[in-house]
Amino acid sequence: MDALLAFLTVFTHPELLLLVGLGTFAGVYVGAIPGLSVTMAVSILISFTFSWDVLPAISLMIGIYMGGVYGGSRTAILLNIPGAPSAIATAMDGYPMAQRGEAGQAIGVTTVMSFFGGLIGIAVLALAAPAVSDFALSFQPRDYMLLAILGILLVGSLSTGSLVKGIFSGSLGLAIGAVGLDPLTFTERFTFGVPLLQGGISFIAVMIGMFGVSEALIQLQHVNSAAVRQKIDRIVPSWDTVKKHLPLSMQTSFIGVIIGALPGTGGDIAALMAYDHAKRVTKKPSRPFGKGAIEGLVAPETANNAAVGGAFIPMMTLGIPGDAVTAIMIGALFIHGLNPGPMLMVTQPDMFWVIVGALVTANAFMLLFGLTGIRLFTKIVELPRAVLIPLIMLLSIVGAYAVNNSVTDVYWMLGFGVFGYFMRHYGYPLGPVILGVILSRLLDDNWRRAIISDREDLGAFFHGILTSPLSLVLTVAVVLIFLSQTPLWRAAIGRLGQRRHRHAAG
Amino acid sequence: MKADFRGDADHHDGTSDATPGGYEDSRRPGEAGFAALLAIGSGVLLWTAHGISGFEALSGPGSVPMAVTAAMLVSALAILARTIRLPRVAGETLRRDVLPGVVIVMALALAGFGLLLVPLGFVPAAFLFLVPAIRFLSGRGWGFSLAVGTGSLAAIWLIFRIVFTVLLPSGILPEAELVQALRGLFSGGEQ
Repeated sequence: MDALLAFLTVFTHPELLLLVGLGTFAGVYVGAIPGLSVTMAVSILISFTFSWDVLPAISLMIGIYMGGVYGGSRTAILLNIPGAPSAIATAMDGYPMAQRGEAGQAIGVTTVMSFFGGLIGIAVLALAAPAVSDFALSFQPRDYMLLAILGILLVGSLSTGSLVKGIFSGSLGLAIGAVGLDPLTFTERFTFGVPLLQGGISFIAVMIGMFGVSEALIQLQHVNSAAVRQKIDRIVPSWDTVKKHLPLSMQTSFIGVIIGALPGTGGDIAALMAYDHAKRVTKKPSRPFGKGAIEGLVAPETANNAAVGGAFIPMMTLGIPGDAVTAIMIGALFIHGLNPGPMLMVTQPDMFWVIVGALVTANAFMLLFGLTGIRLFTKIVELPRAVLIPLIMLLSIVGAYAVNNSVTDVYWMLGFGVFGYFMRHYGYPLGPVILGVILSRLLDDNWRRAIISDREDLGAFFHGILTSPLSLVLTVAVVLIFLSQTPLWRAAIGRLGQRRHRHAAG
Repeated sequence: MKADFRGDADHHDGTSDATPGGYEDSRRPGEAGFAALLAIGSGVLLWTAHGISGFEALSGPGSVPMAVTAAMLVSALAILARTIRLPRVAGETLRRDVLPGVVIVMALALAGFGLLLVPLGFVPAAFLFLVPAIRFLSGRGWGFSLAVGTGSLAAIWLIFRIVFTVLLPSGILPEAELVQALRGLFSGGEQ
């Protein structure tokens, strides 16, 4: 009963309802402006909510996240530029549809399927999270440490860029997170004798710099590119279209939830895997895949929105983010005094149900805003960049300053903005940096807890790993990711392929 | 798609989060220098991490920092070794494709904004940043820049100062009185 009341909190408080709606609106439209990503929107906008109470702040953030994942698909369809990593697969068939003048239909199908996938993701979250959280209570510190490493490695290797650059970025994030006084022994770490560094580097400054300023600086190179006009006609898809693709969307939604729930893998991997699945199971697509097949839109869009619910499972139950956006959400929850992890479900179960309620609401708003307001949408997408970019820079500065009322954070933000600019140019992924900063404390604490409980004995530590099935599975996963990047692995895969080939031929 | 590269040729400049910059088989101008700087920086950080608690205990405050900076150094060296072996991208220059003048100017303007934020206050500093920036980027007249800049600054100030109650440095502007007057206006003179 308490859970139901908590679930309905957002519906019964007009103020929260309004904020979820506002957040979703902002998410959809920021995600839809070419070049402005949902990560950027979340990182800049949430910094303004830190002085708020926790419920309004969470309502706004969830709206932005849910809307942004969907909004990224708009630019993928209209301009072939995925607004978010999770929309890469959407562009493959969405853009060919737009080229044929079917942009309206593509957007309509995307919207309805995103809504459907989102609902399934949230339902699984509501059902599975309490059980996962119970299970997570039995996790050892070393398991948390391994999960954190696994998460950073997966984000580094699967989502963007090369693994070795991903490892560098993740380690850099962990090092940034370690700056300041060690919470256990009060030893100074990476402070270089500067008193200002003792408090550490604000995670918000790193985040806004990397995702706000660096992106705005990159966009300066495209400041004069003309806004693209697309004629968008009928947008609400027919019931027949929806009904026809329902079986596929069920399958791809579950792929989305499962992939989203794995720590370190988020909507982008989910969408690509779902696209691949659709290609395999669809015998007669409406058109060949890659040439504007509706199935090629249904699969990634259900999966990436289902992955939102999935990603909340490790985030809420373990405190391990799935991607850069969930990493930012975890950081925001920390600042609001919540500690995502198994204990959250024990000490504040209501909070979990409020979040589930907000997700459902955001999903409904997404459907509403997705299918309406096309004229406004085209206006916003056509905003001149010469005005937009200085405004983003201004908001970045206000956001960085607002969190601690400190101008030092502004300087850090600018520094990381310039650094992130070069990282983007040279292909270093930024997601792992943020994940590293967020997970630094968790990794450090749990390593020390684990090794202290084994009396500083590495032999006992490894013995513990080998005798616990969970630790063993996690360790094997970490080792496999490393091996997958070595020539040894490629040779093994090649040999396996040859053998299969021979087998098939024979 | 190769395991080592997930970007696409159209977005080698990192336009979108989804498509990081860089090329698979060649290096961009300045890429090797950047990789070298990262390697040197990682070395310095590893040295600093060693200074935290050395090898005194596995659970010492310096053990995780040492492990992560060692990972940074090893990966940075691997990246450097790979990058310097790659041929340079044909037809790209540092000045035009990586660090064009407009980026340098705007980065300096941002730094100036940051420096003036506290002494001048948010509104004057933002005005001094926004109007010339719009003029410079859009290439349109001062009238347009003044109108758009002032209008959006007013909107941002109202939203963040009044609605989100974000504290911004007031500097030379009598902000508290202004906020009070606005609140008085909206409450219709209620006491």
